[in-house]
Amino acid sequence: MKTSPIYHRDETVVLLLAGGVGSRLNVLVKTRAKPAVPFGGLYRIIDFSLSNVMNSGLNQVGVLTQYNPLSLMGHIGTGEAWDFTGRSRGVKILPPRTGASASDWYKGTADAVRQNIDFIRAHPSRQVLILSGDHIYQMDFAKMIAFHQQKGADVTVAMMEVPFDQIQQFGTGITDGDGRIIDWEEKPKLPRTNLASMGIYVFDTEYLLATLSRDRLEIDFGMHIIPRAIAQDNVFAYPFGGYWRDVGTIQALWEANMDIIRDDSGISPQAWGIRSNPETERRIADRSFTRFGSACRISGAAISAGCRIEGEVVNSVLSPGVVVKTGASVRDSILFPDCVVERNAVVNLAIIDKRGNVGEGAVVGYGDEHHLPNNLHPTHLYTGISLVGKGASIGAKCVVGRNCILQPNISLPAGKIVGSGETV
Amino acid sequence: MKLKHGTLAMVLAGGRVDELNVLTYSRPKSAVPFGGFARIIDFPLSNLMNSGLERVAILSQYRNYSLINHIGSGASWDMIGRNRGISILPPFKGSEGANWYRGSADAVSQNVDFIKYHQPEVVLVLSGDHVYNMDYREIIRYHRARDADMTMACLQVPIETAHRFGVAEIDDEDGAIGGRVRRYWEKPVEPQCNWASMTIYCFRPQALYDVLTGCAPGQGDVEFGRHIIPMMMREGRKVYGFKFADYWGYTRTVAEYWQTSMDMLGPDPLIRIEDWGIRTNLEHRAIRDYQPLKVGTGATIDDSLIYNGCVVDGVVKRSILFPGVKVGRGALVEDSILFFDNVIGENVCIRKTISDVNVTYGRGCTVGGEEVASGLPTVVGGRNTIPPAISIGSSCTIYPQLEPDRLQGGIKAGEIVK
Repeated sequence: MKTSPIYHRDETVVLLLAGGVGSRLNVLVKTRAKPAVPFGGLYRIIDFSLSNVMNSGLNQVGVLTQYNPLSLMGHIGTGEAWDFTGRSRGVKILPPRTGASASDWYKGTADAVRQNIDFIRAHPSRQVLILSGDHIYQMDFAKMIAFHQQKGADVTVAMMEVPFDQIQQFGTGITDGDGRIIDWEEKPKLPRTNLASMGIYVFDTEYLLATLSRDRLEIDFGMHIIPRAIAQDNVFAYPFGGYWRDVGTIQALWEANMDIIRDDSGISPQAWGIRSNPETERRIADRSFTRFGSACRISGAAISAGCRIEGEVVNSVLSPGVVVKTGASVRDSILFPDCVVERNAVVNLAIIDKRGNVGEGAVVGYGDEHHLPNNLHPTHLYTGISLVGKGASIGAKCVVGRNCILQPNISLPAGKIVGSGETV
Repeated sequence: MKLKHGTLAMVLAGGRVDELNVLTYSRPKSAVPFGGFARIIDFPLSNLMNSGLERVAILSQYRNYSLINHIGSGASWDMIGRNRGISILPPFKGSEGANWYRGSADAVSQNVDFIKYHQPEVVLVLSGDHVYNMDYREIIRYHRARDADMTMACLQVPIETAHRFGVAEIDDEDGAIGGRVRRYWEKPVEPQCNWASMTIYCFRPQALYDVLTGCAPGQGDVEFGRHIIPMMMREGRKVYGFKFADYWGYTRTVAEYWQTSMDMLGPDPLIRIEDWGIRTNLEHRAIRDYQPLKVGTGATIDDSLIYNGCVVDGVVKRSILFPGVKVGRGALVEDSILFFDNVIGENVCIRKTISDVNVTYGRGCTVGGEEVASGLPTVVGGRNTIPPAISIGSSCTIYPQLEPDRLQGGIKAGEIVK
C-alpha cells in the first residue's frame, strides 16, 4: 500500500494540555490560563513546552485549551514563533466543541484527549506525545520516543525522582530493572517510592485510540488509564534527571523565577533554546533596549530589554516595559510587563501583574509578618509574597503588608494601608 | 498592480562609505549596527512602516549579503501580505547595457520598469544611511498640495558645514513648512544658504521618468544631488523644499557615529530612540532567542543602554551594549559601544572604543587608553581575539579578524593595524 507522501507513518503527533485553571496562582490566573502566565521576564510558562517540542523536531501540535484561553491563543498565534508553519507543520488550538455525540467540557486529561480523537486521526502517526503546558524544564522528546520504541512499549511515562516530602502530589511508580513500571499509585498518602510521573506520555497511536475507546468514564491518565495499562500492557518509565518545576503555586513560581537570576540553579532559558513570541501583546518586537540612569543600583537581576531603570533593582525579575523611577527600590520581586514603580516607592517580595502602578513613596511588602497567611486564600499566600493584580493602581504613600492580594484594576487611594494578610 | 496607497518608496542602500573603515569592511553602511540593538537601515524602514508606506524597494550593491539577511521577508516591518512588500533590487544583467549601479540616480533609472509596474502616485526616494525619526506622510502631503514635480526634505545646518551637502535656497511660500526651491548648489565651496538636502525626495512619477531619461549616463556616475536636481532646476521644474526640524543623526565618519551614539545617553539625552518606534529583524543573529539581561551581584551600571542576552558582572558606564555582550568580573567598560556578542574578559578595561561583532577581549587587557582621551575612539574590527594583558591605545584602528599575534606587545595610540 502506497502511503501518502505528505504524512509519514513514523511521525509523532503532539497533544499539549493547556486547559488548566491553576487556581493556586490566584489573581495571576484570573483572566488567563496558567500556561499563559508570564515567566522569566520574556516568556510565558507554555513557551517551555512549546520550545521543547520544536527543539525535539516535532511539528504537528494540538493545544487543548479550555479555561480563559484568549491570551494563550493570541500568544500562540500562527505558531510561527516555534516554526509550526509550512506545508507539513502546524499548531492547532483545540477547545471543547460540539459535534460528536459525546462532546462536553474537558473533564480530565484522558477525557480531553478522547474528545480529540478526530485530531489524532487527521494526522497519521506512529506515536502520540501528551504533555502539559504548565512546567518549567528542558527535554528532548526525540530521546523519549526512541526509548519508547526500543522498549517496545505501548505507553511510556516520563518519570523523575523527587524528594519524599513532595511526592504526595504526584502519580508515583515502581519499576523493575528494565524500566518497566510494575506498580503505580496516584498521589499516595504513604509513598512507597519517590519516582514521580511528570505527566508526559508517549503512546503508540493505535494503542491509545484503542484504550481510550474502552470506557468513557476513564477521564484521567494518571488515575485510570495508566494503572490499567500497567496491569495488562507494556508500560515503561523514561528516566528524566534535570531541572523541572511545576510552578503551580505562588511560592513555586517565585522560586523558579529567582532561579533564572542565579548561575548555579540549573535553569537557563537561552541555553535550553526556549523562545517566546515577540509579536504578542507585550510586543517585544516593538521594544528597544533597557535604559539605565546614572543613579541606579542593580544587583542580581534579570531585566528584559525595553525597561527604564533609574532606581534600585535587587534580586528581581523584570518583564519588558517596566519603569523604576529615581529613588524607588525593587527587591526580591517579579514585575510583569509595563509595571511602573514611581519615585521613592518600595516593592519588596511581591509579584506585580501587568501594568501595575505603585505610587510615589508607596510600599508594597511592608513589615515582618511573612507567616500571617492571606485571609481569603491562606493556602495560596503564606510565605510573605504579596500579589498585585493586572492594572492595579496603588496611590502615593500607600502601605501594603505581607501576603496581601490586590485585585486587578483596583485603585488604592493615596495613603491607604493594607495590613498583612488582607485582600482588597 | 496599482498601489493601494499610492506611494512607492525606493531606499538607496547601495553604498560603501570609506570613512567608517572597519565598520563597513564587510557590510554596507545601511547594515551597520546602531542604537543598541538595530541597524542603520532600520531607521528609514521603521519610519516607512510608521508612516503607513508599505511598498518598498531597496536598491543595493555593495556587499549585499548582510543586508539581504537583515531584511529577510520584510515581516519585521510588517511589509508582507497582499498589498505590502519589500523588494531588494540589486544590479542585474539585461539585454541592453544594464550594468552596475553608477550612482544613486542611475540605480533608480535602471529600475524604472519596477516603478512603472506599481503605478504609484508618488515615488519617495530616500537614503538608507541615516538615523532620524520622520513621518513621511507630511512631506508627501505637502508635495501633493503644491503639485510639485519634486519635493526635497531639508534640514538647517551650521553654515560652516553646509559645503558638505546639497544646499537649497527655499523661499518663504509656506513659512515654517517649506517653500519653492529658488536655487540649488551641490556641495558649494562658499554656501550662501544653510538648508541642506537630506536625500529624501518625493517625485511626481512622470517628472522622475523625464529627468532620468534626460540624464542618461555618459561617463561617470549619475547622482540625484550632483546631476538630477541641478537639471530639474535648469529646466524650471516645480521643485519644493520641505523643512524638517527634528534631530538628524550624522554617522558619516567614525567620530560622527560615536557622537550620535553618545547623543542617546545622559540624564537629558538628545534623542530617545526608544520612543521612535524602531523595529529590527529579531531573526537576524537570532536576537529573539536571547534571554533577559543578567546582572551579577558585583556589577555597576551607570547611564547605559543594554539589550537582552547580555551578562554584566563588571562596571558599565555611559556605554551601549548590543545583544549578547558579556562583561566579566572586574571589567570596566566606559564611553564605549560594543556590538553583538562581544566578550569582555575579567579585569579588562575598555574606554572610548567601538567594538565590532564577536570580539573577545582576553583577561586584563586595556583598550582605548589608560584614561578617557579626546580624539577619535578606538575602533576594533569584528571577529578579533585580543590577547590577555596587552594594551591598545586610544584612537587606534584594528582591522577585522587579525591573527592575535599581530597584537602581542600592544598597540600604541593612533596606530592602524591591518
